[in-house]
Amino acid sequence: MMANRLLFAPFVLRRSFSLSSAALNKKNDSQLVPTKGVADLKDPRTVLEADEMKRKELLRNSVIEVNEPMNISPIIGIPDEHIETRRVRIFKPSKNTMQSGTNNINLWVIQFECRERWENPLMGWTSSGDSLSNIDGWLRFKTKEDAMHFCEKNGWQYSVEEPEVTKRPIKKSYADNFSWNKRTRVGSK
Amino acid sequence: MASRRVVSRLQGHVKPVLSLDSTEAHRRVLNLYRAWYRNIPVILNRFNLPIDEQMAKNKLREMFYRYRNVTDIRVIDILVIKGNMELTETVKGWKQECHVMAYFKDTHNPKPKDFISKFLSGHDAE
Amino acid sequence: MLRFVAASCKRTANNPSCVVWLKECRRHARTSGSKQQQTSAAQETKPKLLEVFIDEKKVLVEPGTTILEAAAMAGVEIPRFCYHERLSVAGNCRMCLVEVEKSIKPVASCAMPIMMNGMKVKTNSPMTKQAREGVMEFLLMNHPLDCPICDQGGECDLQDQSMAFGSDRSRLQVELDPKRAVEDKNIGPLVKTIMTRCIHCTRCVRFMNEIAGCEDLGTTGRGSDMQIGTYLENTALLSELSGNIVDLCPVGALTSKPYAFTARPWELRRVDSVDVLDAVGSNISVCTRSGDLMRILPRENDAVNEEWLADKSRHAPVDGLKAQRLTVPLLRPSKSSQLQMCDWEDALLAVGRALNGIQPSRMEAIVGPFVDAETMVVLKDLFNTIGSENVYLHVDSDLDKSCFPSSKDLDFQKNYLFNTSIAGLEDGVDLLLLIGTNIRFEAPLVNARIRKAWRNNLINDIAVIGENGLDLLYDYEYLGDSTKVLADIVAGKHKIVDRLKKAQKAVVILGQQILKKDSDSNAYEMVRALCDKYGAEFNLLHANASTVAAFDLGLKPSSERKTDNSDEQSLLWLIGVDDENLTIPNNSFVIYQGHTGDICANTADVILPGSAFTEKQGTMISMEGRVQQTLAAITPPNMAREDWKIVRACSELANYPLPYDTLLEVRERMQQLAPHLTRHSNRKLEKPSLRPPPISSVSAQSPVSLLPRMKSLVDYWQTDAISRCSPTMSKCVLSTKKEFDKRGIKY
Repeated sequence: MMANRLLFAPFVLRRSFSLSSAALNKKNDSQLVPTKGVADLKDPRTVLEADEMKRKELLRNSVIEVNEPMNISPIIGIPDEHIETRRVRIFKPSKNTMQSGTNNINLWVIQFECRERWENPLMGWTSSGDSLSNIDGWLRFKTKEDAMHFCEKNGWQYSVEEPEVTKRPIKKSYADNFSWNKRTRVGSK
Repeated sequence: MASRRVVSRLQGHVKPVLSLDSTEAHRRVLNLYRAWYRNIPVILNRFNLPIDEQMAKNKLREMFYRYRNVTDIRVIDILVIKGNMELTETVKGWKQECHVMAYFKDTHNPKPKDFISKFLSGHDAE
Repeated sequence: MLRFVAASCKRTANNPSCVVWLKECRRHARTSGSKQQQTSAAQETKPKLLEVFIDEKKVLVEPGTTILEAAAMAGVEIPRFCYHERLSVAGNCRMCLVEVEKSIKPVASCAMPIMMNGMKVKTNSPMTKQAREGVMEFLLMNHPLDCPICDQGGECDLQDQSMAFGSDRSRLQVELDPKRAVEDKNIGPLVKTIMTRCIHCTRCVRFMNEIAGCEDLGTTGRGSDMQIGTYLENTALLSELSGNIVDLCPVGALTSKPYAFTARPWELRRVDSVDVLDAVGSNISVCTRSGDLMRILPRENDAVNEEWLADKSRHAPVDGLKAQRLTVPLLRPSKSSQLQMCDWEDALLAVGRALNGIQPSRMEAIVGPFVDAETMVVLKDLFNTIGSENVYLHVDSDLDKSCFPSSKDLDFQKNYLFNTSIAGLEDGVDLLLLIGTNIRFEAPLVNARIRKAWRNNLINDIAVIGENGLDLLYDYEYLGDSTKVLADIVAGKHKIVDRLKKAQKAVVILGQQILKKDSDSNAYEMVRALCDKYGAEFNLLHANASTVAAFDLGLKPSSERKTDNSDEQSLLWLIGVDDENLTIPNNSFVIYQGHTGDICANTADVILPGSAFTEKQGTMISMEGRVQQTLAAITPPNMAREDWKIVRACSELANYPLPYDTLLEVRERMQQLAPHLTRHSNRKLEKPSLRPPPISSVSAQSPVSLLPRMKSLVDYWQTDAISRCSPTMSKCVLSTKKEFDKRGIKY
C-alpha cells in the first residue's frame, strides 16, 4: 500500500494542480459532457485511468484515525469575529403561557446573545447585521449533549441552562368545587 | 453563566477526504502553496493591482500561516480543496480585481480591540 | 457501595486525598441509607398505586388522579379548553372526552378520577376522535371567523386544536342558524374583550375568583344565552393580577389592550429573562420585534411565580421603557446652565476628572432598585480602588429606616432573606404573621401563594400587624398597628403568644415599605427577637429587585450615609436612584447613571445613559436568595450602554483601570467576592446555613405605628421610574380611582 501511494501520489497532485487549460478541457470533453444518449455512456472505469481508479478504490475502502474533536470553524466560512466573540446559550424552551400545547418544549435549542436589530425605513422589515441570530430556535436538538457538540464543532463558547425542577404532582378533583369543609368551594360561577 | 468547554468526543476512525495520513496532507499543502507561489506573477500580470510581488508573497504566507494550528487531516484536505478553488478562480479570471483585493482587507470595518474603543464605538462591538 | 469503597481504600490507603474522599463516600452512604429508610417509611403510609393503561402504555398513579393527568404522565397530551393545571376542574368544554374500556359513553378525562386498577383509556380510538370532532363542530358553530384580525391568531388553542382534531368540512348553514353575537364588556384598561369569540370555558372566571380573589367576573344566563362578564356594566376589575386572564383565555375573547394589534406571535423573538419591578424574581419571557419591546409574558417556574405575573411587571416596562429614556450622555457645563448633549468622551472625561479631583472620603455612590449585581461589583471595585468605602443601596427617604437591616446585620444572609422561600409557604405553615406590610401590592405573587395555601387549608391562621382593613384576599386576624404589639409578644403578654409557641412552623414576614414616623422604631430588631424567642422563621419582604444582591456584596443601606454641611467639593454617583427627598451634599458633583430620566436626573451634572433590564445580561437575586439572570432581548437605545461597562469606562478615564473587559471576567471577579452569585440556576435555591446569633433583649422604645406605604390598588400601579413613565399604568390609576369612587371605597 505504501509503495502504491508513493507511486501515484505525485501524479494525482500534479494532475489536480496543473492549470493548463488544455488539460482541463480534455477532461471536460471526455468525462463531463455526455454528447450522446444515455445508452452510449461509457463505463467510467474505462475512461478514468487505472491509477486514479485504484486511488478512488483505496479512499473508499480505507479509514483514517483522527484523535481530536471535530472543529469545522476554519472551513465553514463564518468570519472569525462571529466565532470568537459569540456566546451561545443552550436551553430548553419554556412553554408559551398563551397556549396549552407542549409539543414544542421537549427539545433543546441554542440562542446567540443579542445583537442590534432595527426596522427598515422603507418597508418596515426587520434588519440585522447578525445572520447567526436567525438560527435561534430553529435548530433543534434532542439532547443537550448534541447541542453542546454542535457548538464545540463550530467553535462557539456556550453555557447550558438546565431546566427547572420537576413539578409537584397535581392533585385535585371535581368534587373540590362542592366540598363543605374547604375554601375551594366557589359560590360564583 | 459560567462559560465552559467540555472536550467533545474524539472522532476516532473516519472516512478520509483526500489524504490517508498527515504526511500526504502536508504534501498537498506544500503543493498548493507552490502552485500559488508560481502563479503570483501570472495573477499580478492579469490584474491591475496596487500590489507588488513581495506583498503578494507575504499575503500568501500569511493566509497559509493562519491555519497553522489545524491538525485534523480532513479539515486540512478541505482547506486545500478550497484553496485550490480560489486559485483556479483567480488565475482563470473568474474573479475581478476587487475580489482579489479582498484578500488584503482584514474586514470591511476593522473592529476595535481595547475596552474603551469598543465602548465608544457601539453596542455590537463586544 | 461501602464494600467497594473499603476495597479501593486498601489499595491507596496512604494517599491523604483518598482518605478525605473515603470519608465523603461514607458520609454519603450513611445519608443515602437514612434517606432510603425515610422513603420506605413514606411509601408504607402512601396508598397503593393503581395501574392505568393509556393507549396501552402502563402508568402507575395514585388513586384519585384524573385520567388527563395520568395521560400527561404517560406523555400523551389530551386536548382541552377549560381544564387548566392551576385552576379548579370545571369539566364544561368536553374537549377532553376519551374512550374508556367498558364505558358506553366517552368520558371527560379532566374530571374523571382513577379509582380502580387496570383502567384502559384510548385517546386515539374512533370514538374519541369522533367525540372531539363533534365538540369542535359545536364550538366553531358560534365562533366568528375573524382569525386574521384576532390578536390570539397564531397562538390560539382553538385554532391549533381545530387543525389537529376538528373535522375537515363544515355542516354549518349560517343562513338558517346565524352565529351568536355577544356585546363586548369593558373590564378596565388592561384586558380587551371581544365576547363573541368566547367559548365559555370559564377559565377567566375561575382565575379571578380563585387566584386573584376578585369576585367581579362571573357567568349569567344559560344555554346559548350564557355570557361571561361582570354582573354590572362597565366594572373595571380591581385586581393586580387581571392580566393573567389574557394568557389563560384559550381563544381571542380576552386579549391584552395595550398590546392590541401591535404584533403577531410568529414575528416575535422570545428571550427568557427575570422581572425586576418587584423583588419576587418572577420568570418572564420578553417578546421583541425588530429591536422593539412588544410584550412581556410569564414563564413557568413552580418555585417562584407558578405561571402568573403581576400586572405592573407585565405592562409597565413595555411602554414605560419607551418614554423619558436617557439615550445620549448629557453634561452641565456650569452649575447655572442647562444640561447639554455631549459625546461619551466628554462625559467620561468629566467623570474621570471628578473622580481624580475630589477627596475619596467625600465620594458617595448609591444604587437604585433595578441595578444588577455586575454593576454593583464594578462600582464597588472602582470606589475601593480610589479609596472610598461609601457605596450604598438606596433606601427611600420617606420610609422608616428602622425596618431595614443595618450594616452590622448583613454578615448573615439569614438576616435579610425571605427565608421560608415562596414555595415554602405551602409546606405546613401553622401560623403566618404579617408585620407592617401590604403584601398584596408589595409582592402580588407571594400574596397569591399565600391565598393559594389558605384556599387549600394549608395555612389557616394568619395575623396582621400594621394597617387596619387591608384587603389581602384572605381572612386574617388584625392585631393592631403599633410596635407595642410586637413588644407585648416578645414579652409574652399577648394573646397570640400561645399559638406562636404551639406552632410547629410559624412564619413571620416583615415588610420593607413602612412609612417614616417622627420617632424611630426598632421594628427590625424586635421582629428578629420575636422570631428567636418563639422559633419562628424570619422573613423580610423586600420591595426592590436589587436589595439582596447589594446586601450580599456588602453595600450598606443609604440610611447610614453621613452627610455634613461642609462646603468642600463632594461627588455623588447615583445609579437609577429616584427619590424626591434625597440628601445631596453641598457643592457636590452629581453623576446620574440610569435608563429613565425621572426625579433625580434633573439635579445631575453628568448623565450617563444606562440600559434597562431588557437590554442587558445581569444577575438579579430575588428576595428568597434565588440567583437568576436577565438576558438582553434588545440593544440599548441610541448611545446608551450596559451599566457595568459605563462604570468600567469611567474607571479607565480616571486612571484606575479595572482588570476586566468582558462580562465573563466581571463574573469571575464576582465569584471571588461572593461565589454563590455566579451560580445562576432556577433549579434549586441555596439556603444559607450560617445561623446568626440570637437577639435576646431589645431596648424599650415609645410605640410607633407600622403602616405600609401602599394602601390600596391606586398606590400599586406607579411606584418606580419605569411604571411612572408608563401611560398604561396611568390609565390603570385613573380607572381604579373611578371604580373606587363608583363603589364608594376610600383610597
